[in-house]
Amino acid sequence: MSVIAPKFRLGYFLKAIFDNAFWILTLVTLAGIPAIQIALFLMPLPVIDGELLTAFLAFTWLFNPTMQIPLIKALLYSDLFRIAAFPGFGFAALIAAGTIFVERKMLAKLQLRVGPFYCGKIEGILQLAGDGLKLISKEIIIPAKADKPLFWAAPVLFVGTAAAFVALIPVAPGGWVVADLDVGLLAVFAVIGFFPIITILSAWSANSKFPFIGGIRALHQMVSFEIPLILSLLGVVILTGTLNLSEIVESQSNFPWIIFMPIGAIVFFTTMLAELERIPFDLPEAESEIVAGWLTEFSGMMYGLVQLGSYLKLYAFAALFVIIFLGGWTGPVFWPPLDAELITEGVPIPNYVGDPILTVATPGLPLFDKDPNEWVQQQQGELMYTSGQLLISGVIWFVLKTVGVIFFILLPRGVFPRIRLDMLLHIGWYKLIGLAFVNIFIALGLVYAGVIGPGGIL
Amino acid sequence: MSTSETTPPPKATPPPKATPPEKTEPPAPAFEKSYIDQITNQFTDDVEIGYIKENRTRINVKKEKIADVAKFIKDNTPFDHAESVTGVDFPEDKEIGVIYHLGSYTDSTYSKQVLALATRVPREENPNPGNDSTKLPSLRDMFYSVEFHEREVFEMLGVYFEGHPDNRRLLLPEDWADLPPLRKDFRNKGR
Amino acid sequence: MTEQVIPTKQMPPGLQVENVDDRIMTLNVGPQHPGSGHMRIIVKIDGDYIVDADPDPGYVHRGEEKMAESRNYITNIPHLERPVIHDSCNILYPYVLGVEDLVGIEVPERAKYVRVITAELNRCIYIQYWLAIYGIFLGHSTMFMWPAGDRELLIDLMEKVTGARVTHAYFIPGGVRNDVPANFEDVCLRQVNYFEKRIKEYADIFYDNPILKARTEDTGVLSREDAIRLGTTGSVLRASGVDYDVRIKEPYDVYDELDVHTNVLKSGDSYARSKIPWLDMLESCNIIRQALEKMPKSGSIRTKLKPNPKGGEDEVYRRVESGRGSAGCHIISKSKPEPYRLKLSVSSFRNLIALPYLLKGEKLGNMPAVYWSLNYWPVEADR
Repeated sequence: MSVIAPKFRLGYFLKAIFDNAFWILTLVTLAGIPAIQIALFLMPLPVIDGELLTAFLAFTWLFNPTMQIPLIKALLYSDLFRIAAFPGFGFAALIAAGTIFVERKMLAKLQLRVGPFYCGKIEGILQLAGDGLKLISKEIIIPAKADKPLFWAAPVLFVGTAAAFVALIPVAPGGWVVADLDVGLLAVFAVIGFFPIITILSAWSANSKFPFIGGIRALHQMVSFEIPLILSLLGVVILTGTLNLSEIVESQSNFPWIIFMPIGAIVFFTTMLAELERIPFDLPEAESEIVAGWLTEFSGMMYGLVQLGSYLKLYAFAALFVIIFLGGWTGPVFWPPLDAELITEGVPIPNYVGDPILTVATPGLPLFDKDPNEWVQQQQGELMYTSGQLLISGVIWFVLKTVGVIFFILLPRGVFPRIRLDMLLHIGWYKLIGLAFVNIFIALGLVYAGVIGPGGIL
Repeated sequence: MSTSETTPPPKATPPPKATPPEKTEPPAPAFEKSYIDQITNQFTDDVEIGYIKENRTRINVKKEKIADVAKFIKDNTPFDHAESVTGVDFPEDKEIGVIYHLGSYTDSTYSKQVLALATRVPREENPNPGNDSTKLPSLRDMFYSVEFHEREVFEMLGVYFEGHPDNRRLLLPEDWADLPPLRKDFRNKGR
Repeated sequence: MTEQVIPTKQMPPGLQVENVDDRIMTLNVGPQHPGSGHMRIIVKIDGDYIVDADPDPGYVHRGEEKMAESRNYITNIPHLERPVIHDSCNILYPYVLGVEDLVGIEVPERAKYVRVITAELNRCIYIQYWLAIYGIFLGHSTMFMWPAGDRELLIDLMEKVTGARVTHAYFIPGGVRNDVPANFEDVCLRQVNYFEKRIKEYADIFYDNPILKARTEDTGVLSREDAIRLGTTGSVLRASGVDYDVRIKEPYDVYDELDVHTNVLKSGDSYARSKIPWLDMLESCNIIRQALEKMPKSGSIRTKLKPNPKGGEDEVYRRVESGRGSAGCHIISKSKPEPYRLKLSVSSFRNLIALPYLLKGEKLGNMPAVYWSLNYWPVEADR
């Protein structure tokens, strides 16, 4: 946009507005509305209060105060919301964006510089948006001899697998997970095992020397660290007796597992750094030796997609660490942060004389309660916390813990140099597997001693 | 002062002039003369002394004998490495001179000394590097450190070093087809 | 198939035929590479091990020596400092000392002290830059930012004195070009003290870092005999156990009046070679402080030269300890204002012979660590 703006003429301005309005209206009526109709025709419509919710009924209810809350609640509990916004892609992407910004700022302060500064009024907040726009506007260059179908598919596959990983993470109590599997942890291992394949495919299809070396190194690194990853988590599985991630969190309602499994936590943290290709394990992208490793030939939005997938993976791994070792969403329920009488009795609003004629209750946002009558039950003392309160405080605890773990993942980037390949393989195959086995023996010991686990003291 | 040197090398002061006032040069410093004499006594007519100054000496050797002199210096004097190799073009004498500067790391009394070992080779008008008469035996077996220096002298002046394991271009591009650049016939643009 | 390929037509001079082996891959760690500097290394690898390494300098060859033959002794100065632009005082030092010997002039005392101070500052500036690039070769981005940032303190000082951040062109035969500003001693002392405090922190983040130690210890080991035989110089030599520093062995200017220590490590591996320049920097701070104390408070800083200075039929070879090692200048003059032959014997070129020697048999992952630890500045080696 390096064109000097021409002088303002009212006629051109009005013409521009009219042109934009014309085209927007044309496209919406000719293409948008039929598309919406087709989608609504094919989508299964929810039933609220005994009435089938068609599109027109939805719009009518949107302006009806008594029916607004059930409508929004139905939307909240639908599958689409779960996948796209919370706890799925939107939530993860937001945390990923925050992670990127915090990483750049924190690293900059560590290295005596400022980091993003100009883009956005306060401390370069909009830098990420600027980078995203830049990547979208770049030309995507494909090497001539590359294997084109695989090359195009690789970043998309990468983001897809990362999103599949995010889909398995439970975020809040009450079943807030995109895919609630009984063997959730096993599914996580399966998805993690998919990443090396995608890496080596994208490296091989680029048909060039530096991606080749980078892809082989990435394959070695990821494969050699998968076994310690799986083994370190098995200790917790032995102690809880279940593979379901939500139940693992529920079992930590009194104490997090990291107290009993510190070695497992350390091993998992190290293998996590290796799977994420973060410094000190960023061999596959070792800039000073092999230009950019297996990412060399990606340019423009393909690179953007790979980075997005990378940070989604970061969030998912940190969330997995929080769920298994730190207790997920458990923590004191502090929402809403008000006095107990205000919740149960309500706030009386007096008239000008002083008589209370109106009582306003703040039952903790009935919007998020599963059952609309839960707040009544809470007032009457039958239910301790409504599901909405649990939801919000759970989410806040989860986010805080995840952010803490992400901070510790970002920190080695400023402190350590890169590790060498043979040292990495030595660590992965010898030392970490040994430590993971020690961890499993501790878990077995605790179970057989009757301390924890099914039928134990605690 | 250095942390590991024992005694500084002995310095010789020139004796006062007791001769009639004609211009005589002060006699050469004794320490430097001692090791130069060692070399000149061994190779009497092939070696002549260039100069003997404080800490800097030079001997001029005929090109047939340069390898033997270098071997003698390597085996019998404390000079153990070559610091640099300079090639000089003398178009009026139709010769190219090659000067090796030798230094010593092992013997601390010799650490200030630099011995310049100089030879001359005949020079041709139209050089064909590698295939004409400008050839010298390579000193790489005696002083390993001259390997890259001799390659540079080869490409810059056209002096071929026989016995050098890898006598090809170092700094110039592979497709250089002009005169060797450091010859005086090769003029800079505009000068 | 490894049969011999016979070229069927005349090859242009300088090109070679190479036979390709199935097992060995030839990598071009070329000038367009974040891990090579301004040089190309043709590396043949067998799996992860380097079988053969062939350095190919010459990408920044400018013909300094040829240019010097057509310029007189004074106009030679701006272009002779270009091989190492941030260490420019130390590159010009042997040339300037040589010309003073040829022409036969004495340098005033204050000029000698100013020369020593600026030479030591330049040494620190160069070593910080080298350390920054060493950090980034190993993937340690903090070690790239910290030396580059701390270096600015000293570049500010040099800018106050000479007017330029790098490429100072400050030394001339007979002294220095202009005097230091009025309160230079106090400002310099303050900044050098702060600089020393900053570089002492490098020990925590870099030299005691277990990953760095695991990566660079016992790699690229150069034994003492090999270091002497290969004719290496400077930090490479002192990391292999040879105590040789030109400032002590053959003192020039006022180094014999100052208290200079050398640092010698015995192990000869990349870790030692990366530590010696840092120890040298700490030593330089001491030298600067001593020189600032002893400097005469007033005096001329330049001996006036006759126009078109020329030497007789003479030859001179002077050496100086620069940031990388001993830099020498060999001048042959023939009673003309231009030198007949000027040869810069630079330490990077002398240390280059160690590169193929050390890389044979080394792992590919160690290549940046070993290569840059040789204190090699490609522009200087090419001249």
